[in-house]
Amino acid sequence: MSLSKLSWNHFGPHHPFPEKQKFHGCYQDALAPPAFLRPLGLSISAAFAPGPSTMSNSSNMNTLSPDEMQRFQKLSNEFEPDVPGLLVSPKQSSHNIALEYANADPAFATKTSALAVTHPMSRTMKGDGNCGWRAVAFGYFETLFSLRDMLRVEQELARIKSLTYTLDRVGYAEHLYEMFIDATEEVFAQTSEAIQNGDQDESFLVNAFNNEYKSNSILMHFRLLTSAWMKLNAVRYQAFLPVPLEQYCASEIDTVRTEIDEVGLQALVDGVIQGAGFGVEILYLDRSEGDAVTPHQLSPTCPSDATIRLLYRPGHYDIIYRAEQTVNMAPVVNYQYAMTSNYSPWDQGALSFDVNSHLMSIPNLMADPAFGMGGAPMSPIPSVSPTPASPYRLSPTQDMYQSPMQSHAPVPSIPVSSPTPAMPSAAPPPMTSLPSRSSDGPQIRLNPLVMKPNLNHLPVTAPFKNSPYNQAHFRNQDFEPIHWEPNDNRR
Amino acid sequence: MGSQKRIAKELSELVESPPEGIIVELADEANLYKWKVFMEGPEGSPYQGGKFIVNLTLPTEYPFKPPTVSFGTKIYHPNVTNDEKGSMCLGMLRADEWKPSSKIAAVLQFARQLLQEPMPDDAIEGRIAEQYKNDRKRYDEIAKEWTRKWAVSE
Repeated sequence: MSLSKLSWNHFGPHHPFPEKQKFHGCYQDALAPPAFLRPLGLSISAAFAPGPSTMSNSSNMNTLSPDEMQRFQKLSNEFEPDVPGLLVSPKQSSHNIALEYANADPAFATKTSALAVTHPMSRTMKGDGNCGWRAVAFGYFETLFSLRDMLRVEQELARIKSLTYTLDRVGYAEHLYEMFIDATEEVFAQTSEAIQNGDQDESFLVNAFNNEYKSNSILMHFRLLTSAWMKLNAVRYQAFLPVPLEQYCASEIDTVRTEIDEVGLQALVDGVIQGAGFGVEILYLDRSEGDAVTPHQLSPTCPSDATIRLLYRPGHYDIIYRAEQTVNMAPVVNYQYAMTSNYSPWDQGALSFDVNSHLMSIPNLMADPAFGMGGAPMSPIPSVSPTPASPYRLSPTQDMYQSPMQSHAPVPSIPVSSPTPAMPSAAPPPMTSLPSRSSDGPQIRLNPLVMKPNLNHLPVTAPFKNSPYNQAHFRNQDFEPIHWEPNDNRR
Repeated sequence: MGSQKRIAKELSELVESPPEGIIVELADEANLYKWKVFMEGPEGSPYQGGKFIVNLTLPTEYPFKPPTVSFGTKIYHPNVTNDEKGSMCLGMLRADEWKPSSKIAAVLQFARQLLQEPMPDDAIEGRIAEQYKNDRKRYDEIAKEWTRKWAVSE
């Protein structure tokens, strides 16, 4: 449990859609302007537009006749704040968030601008009191869909259904909750169907979550599961609650439109989401120091392909999407180096060229038996063959939420794991047997195009196909880099 | 819709095993959303011996919004409007306190409990609440009289 570590800096500009609005539906409330009207600067007469005669003195509402009181009561009961927008919006650019804060406190302006770069896409939730719940529930299904794994969907459906026993254990009656579960199952079925149909985008989920009945039902299901989880694990949460847990669940979790708080969110993640192996991370947009939003991880792990990211602004949650990950090149391993065993560790000083990652990632560079043997003739370039499978292969059509493993890698587009060429059965000559690599050793001049990303997408014309500039050659298993020999033409 | 199925189940449960002092039927057989409830005044309360008609209406958004409860029989009570509406709206019946996992049976029991123990601090009829707190005897008398007058069929 890391609740105690959370930082709750709930400062900042008012979110345009304040959420905490209690609706009292009783007469005495008509005596004073409802609390949610006051900050808007509306007088009750303006808000309710009564007949001309009665409201000249709006402060003295006790003089109203019962009929008028009733009319006001009715209006008050039926009043719903006009919160614009869909329950769940389509994905949109995070620059919109930056724009909202452009004239706000510089701390927010800086952070939102930075956010738009690191997390370029976002999805807003309607600020109706359910935004946090809805963000997590939507994020859950969206993540599940993005994995495109039918088996996973089946597993998750079974897991969520199996949690039903916790509802029974804490005393919810089946006929009271089954309609909520039905709605969740329906969306699971839609998810499977979308995967089978090869749907490219998650618009079916956006539609489902914009259906008030379905949306409410799913959220209620998740709320009840969270409530049951908390009751069954009371010891984990009670210390963080100002009231007895039963009471907390009754007033904060089991209700229809009470916004989620920190403890509730942690319990939702622990009890409902985490079992899926999904991560949940919140980015806090607050006034804390630094130029970036403060991330906080709610789950033990945040798998790169299955993490729900929430943007928290005081009183409101939205979903936010990280920039597609660059292929993780961190450990640039020269596999050939790893395969040959018994020579001394690299000594960069002994090499006449930079051991940089780009060089190191050129297949066969180090182990090529011809390396450094002087003027290995270029073998005739074979025609481009279909490229072998590689974990870093770029997939052609990706306009959805992408799993980072498949993403367009902006940086290194050099395949690092092309199969090694057929090697002589003997171990390659140890590096030390190469001709002296001091000043006059072989030098390598890389084709500048090697360094350019995404050349895979160059149009392949017939002449280009066979040109040495065609980068696809690098994937060919017989590819060898050109060794520039100063001796030949420069001396 | 799932809510109709749920309402039907709740109704049949209430008809099969009614809670003490409460009898439920549909106001109109064709409409699941309007219920007519006969509620006996609890023993020991000034409403004892009376039989009150309570109208329970389920919103179309049920169970995401609470049922509304109103007394069809005139009743002298701090939490029931003293008019032809007879509205009762507090506690679990408020939209912000309502829990969709609540049973309608619990709503009716809550209403009956309120006859036993009014909640003067959360009153709709301030004058009756005042009297309930300061002059219980007089309150009891009037409540009994109203019960005799309106809630006891000859």
